Amino acid sequence: MSTVAGIIRALNSGVKHLAVKRFTLRYPEQKLKFVGDGFQFDPQTGIGIAGLKGRHILFHDKCTGCQLCAIACEGIAEAIAMVKVNNTWKHNKKAIMPQIDYGKCVFCGLCVDACPFYALYMTNDYELSSFTKEALIYTPGQLAVKPKVAQDVEIKIDNRGATHG
Amino acid sequence: MTTQLPPGMQLEKVDERIMTLNVGPQHPGSGHMRLIIKVDGDHIVSCDPDPGYVHRGEEKMTEYRNYIQNIPHLERPVIHDSCNILYPYCLAVEELLGIEVPERAKYIRVIASELNRCVYTLYWLGIYGIFLGHSTMFMWPMGDRELLIDLLEALSGARVTHAYFVPGGVRNDTPSNFEEKCLRHVNYFEKRLKEYEDIFYQNPVLKQRTEGTGILSRMDAIRLGTTGSVLRSAGVDFDIRKKEPYDVYENLDFQSQVLKEGDSYARSRVPYLDMLESCRIIKDALKKMPKSGSVRTKLKPNPKGGNNEAYRRVESGRGSLGMYVVSDSKPEPYRVKISVGSFRNMICMPYLLKGEKLGNMPAVYWSLNYWPVEADR
Amino acid sequence: MSTIAPEFRLSRFIASLTDLIFWILVLFTLVGLPIVMIVLFYIELPVINGELLTPYLALTWLADPSRTLPIIKSLLYTDFFRIAAFPGFGFAALLASAIIFIERKFLAKMQLRVGPLYCGKVEGILQLMSDGLKLLSKEIIIPAKADKPIFWAAPLLFIGTAAALVSLIPVAPGWVVADIDVGILAVFAVIGFFPIITVLSSWASNSKFPFIGGIRALHQMISFEIPLILSLLGIVILTGTLNLTEIVESQQHYWWIIFMPIGAIVFFITLLAELERIPFDLPEAESEIVAGWLTEFSGMMYGLVQLGSYVKLYAFAALFTILFLGGWNGPMVWPPFPEEIITEGITMGPITVKIPGLPLLDQEMLNATLWFVIKTVVVIMVILLPRGVFPRIRIDLLLHTGWYKLIGLAFVNIFIALALLYAGVLGPGGLIQ
Repeated sequence: MSTVAGIIRALNSGVKHLAVKRFTLRYPEQKLKFVGDGFQFDPQTGIGIAGLKGRHILFHDKCTGCQLCAIACEGIAEAIAMVKVNNTWKHNKKAIMPQIDYGKCVFCGLCVDACPFYALYMTNDYELSSFTKEALIYTPGQLAVKPKVAQDVEIKIDNRGATHG
Repeated sequence: MTTQLPPGMQLEKVDERIMTLNVGPQHPGSGHMRLIIKVDGDHIVSCDPDPGYVHRGEEKMTEYRNYIQNIPHLERPVIHDSCNILYPYCLAVEELLGIEVPERAKYIRVIASELNRCVYTLYWLGIYGIFLGHSTMFMWPMGDRELLIDLLEALSGARVTHAYFVPGGVRNDTPSNFEEKCLRHVNYFEKRLKEYEDIFYQNPVLKQRTEGTGILSRMDAIRLGTTGSVLRSAGVDFDIRKKEPYDVYENLDFQSQVLKEGDSYARSRVPYLDMLESCRIIKDALKKMPKSGSVRTKLKPNPKGGNNEAYRRVESGRGSLGMYVVSDSKPEPYRVKISVGSFRNMICMPYLLKGEKLGNMPAVYWSLNYWPVEADR
Repeated sequence: MSTIAPEFRLSRFIASLTDLIFWILVLFTLVGLPIVMIVLFYIELPVINGELLTPYLALTWLADPSRTLPIIKSLLYTDFFRIAAFPGFGFAALLASAIIFIERKFLAKMQLRVGPLYCGKVEGILQLMSDGLKLLSKEIIIPAKADKPIFWAAPLLFIGTAAALVSLIPVAPGWVVADIDVGILAVFAVIGFFPIITVLSSWASNSKFPFIGGIRALHQMISFEIPLILSLLGIVILTGTLNLTEIVESQQHYWWIIFMPIGAIVFFITLLAELERIPFDLPEAESEIVAGWLTEFSGMMYGLVQLGSYVKLYAFAALFTILFLGGWNGPMVWPPFPEEIITEGITMGPITVKIPGLPLLDQEMLNATLWFVIKTVVVIMVILLPRGVFPRIRIDLLLHTGWYKLIGLAFVNIFIALALLYAGVLGPGGLIQ
């Protein structure tokens, strides 16, 4: 009779779960919250600061055009290319800055690890789709804009189950 | 015979009774690999696994990238278990370069590795459920995976393919509220795991279907060279975390899970028991972790290894995963050889499926914990 | 949208409109008018209030609205309404469609996720309509070597047989499409068609996976027909009749499930097997044989087969209700029709309107329908539950269960029924009436 007991226990488990809250994140209406501002790296200590590896942000007043990010990415995805920009700065006499192709980037963050001047970080922005491949190549000007990321919900656990609320 | 066959093709005698089924890459019941099964009515006469659909040449590609650039590259064979496949690489390279890893980094590596093991096992368990026709057992593990992936995202910045381990430690420290969030999620996860007992493991229909099928005896398991949960479900107590401990596993308090029967039911149960142990390991590691400290040893720019070789192996979700790294005077490794648990366990497929009924085919073959992408590298 | 809209030209637009009007007129004249003539010649028109209801008379209801309700009432009692709408196909199809949606939401809640959500403002109610429209718009692909006449006919046969099963089921006293004296035997005769249709359609598909699925379906359905029949013999012995309406009427004081629980359980398990529901859904085992005998159907053929499956589900659940749970018997909860509306009419301010022929359907019939629907929905929920809880059973275990265990239990049930009858407890002249 252990078969019958097993069947009844399985059915009971199924019915019990009708009272547990639903777990799904309703994506476009609800978006996940993140802790912090994105993945960053401190070249002095050599240790990163935890955060989501999303779209990059380039600080024009710190980037010197040293190409270390492009060299780091060469072996991984070849997504960074240096392009000429219009202005010149005292700290960037060659007037070149990285442009990132998100069609190739794998979001590993090793370019952030490579930058010694606190100029390249990653942000929380992950919605990067576009209709054309050319629009995926972000110029240094586009990379300088800090994105606005909608954050609504996170996982909450209570005695009726876990839910995104 | 006057006809010339093109190279690579074989002649096969057509038999009236035996039907050849291609459980192929485009089949809801296979992974990205093919099984050529010859069936006589309902009995399988022979089975010929045909891997190689996802082969990318990983090992050759590592020779063109230096030690740090290999990190996002080598984690791709198993994207959701990526910490476990980078683990032996980092250990081997640390041995080659002679680097010492700080204590806090070791604990964080153990926690991330156990979380990855749970994430992979839940994915595997979900697919096992759906192969047997149990759609609830697909939805619940996928939902519970979200709890752990949320933790890994807070820790490393990405949901899968974390690129978190580097030779020398880990890339970043934990975020501010990580410890209490981790405890909360892991406690709830343990409660969810106990629900799987009633609906799956003690379900009489499942037990009738998987008990006594695909029996692998203890001597055969050792003789065929299986690893991981397949080996432990046949009665052999060999868990690399216990026998050859790496990082801080000797300080942590856990048991290796062994079952004696060696059938598909035992093979499906050992990873589940492993997950319960992983929860204990994570909670123990969180308690024993040093509260502050560096998490990474700084490497010299362009590190070179000299003429040296190192082999380290790790217990991943599928079995023992080993990496053999040979270095020379260049910043790129001379050769990296990856030895994967899935490929080792694949030998059981033709052995176990011969003489089985066709209805048992998904239950037996997926219980061998085979991940096609990793086996093909 | 993958097509780019062509530029608008007024001349082309007017040309297309004229074309449309032309074709409407042609079809109306060549097809519509002959149909009207045939209807007028061959179909008997009802007589209302002593007048023959010609179409001309029907249209004069605009002038005298007191004729609407008698006309509608007479239409409600025709045979055509019974077959197409109320206890027949329309009712079953509506309930079946509602069940498809409820099943998806129910299963989703058990699996801790939302089901269909976006297709309608409230939790995805319009999902089914959009699924139907999608299936209508898909191309029907027929394999080149398939046996075309049988392949085309198979879904229609399937849904026809399911509708035939629905026609035998009484919903309220007097409301049944076919009141046959050997009702239960007719049910078994119709059920015997289903394996034939499955095997024909899988053979006609001319492909490996449907072949395996068809053979499995044949094994499954045939081996479970015998326990199905045997489990009902207990009821036949105790009531002494095969007519379904009389079986329901014999349950006025107690339900048969109290005295024959084993028969009910055996009938329930064989019901799950005949319907190909989990844990018995081998013929459509998705992970092993792609989609079983349904693999080669696409577009609306697939839609018809799915609708047929769910109509069959409703029919079997209704059978279970009728045979074991007392059919439409239940306390009177429907409020009676207020008498003043018939005698004095509805009063609104200074106007009093008398509407003749008002109680369209009487209170007893509505109460009976309500109880029948409630009980059937409960049985359907219990049938839907194992889908989220059990994995699929294997074919040899299935045959073992069907041929050994269930037939044994059915015989135990028959012996219990015989014991109750000969001990004088039940049946005619027994202690409990």
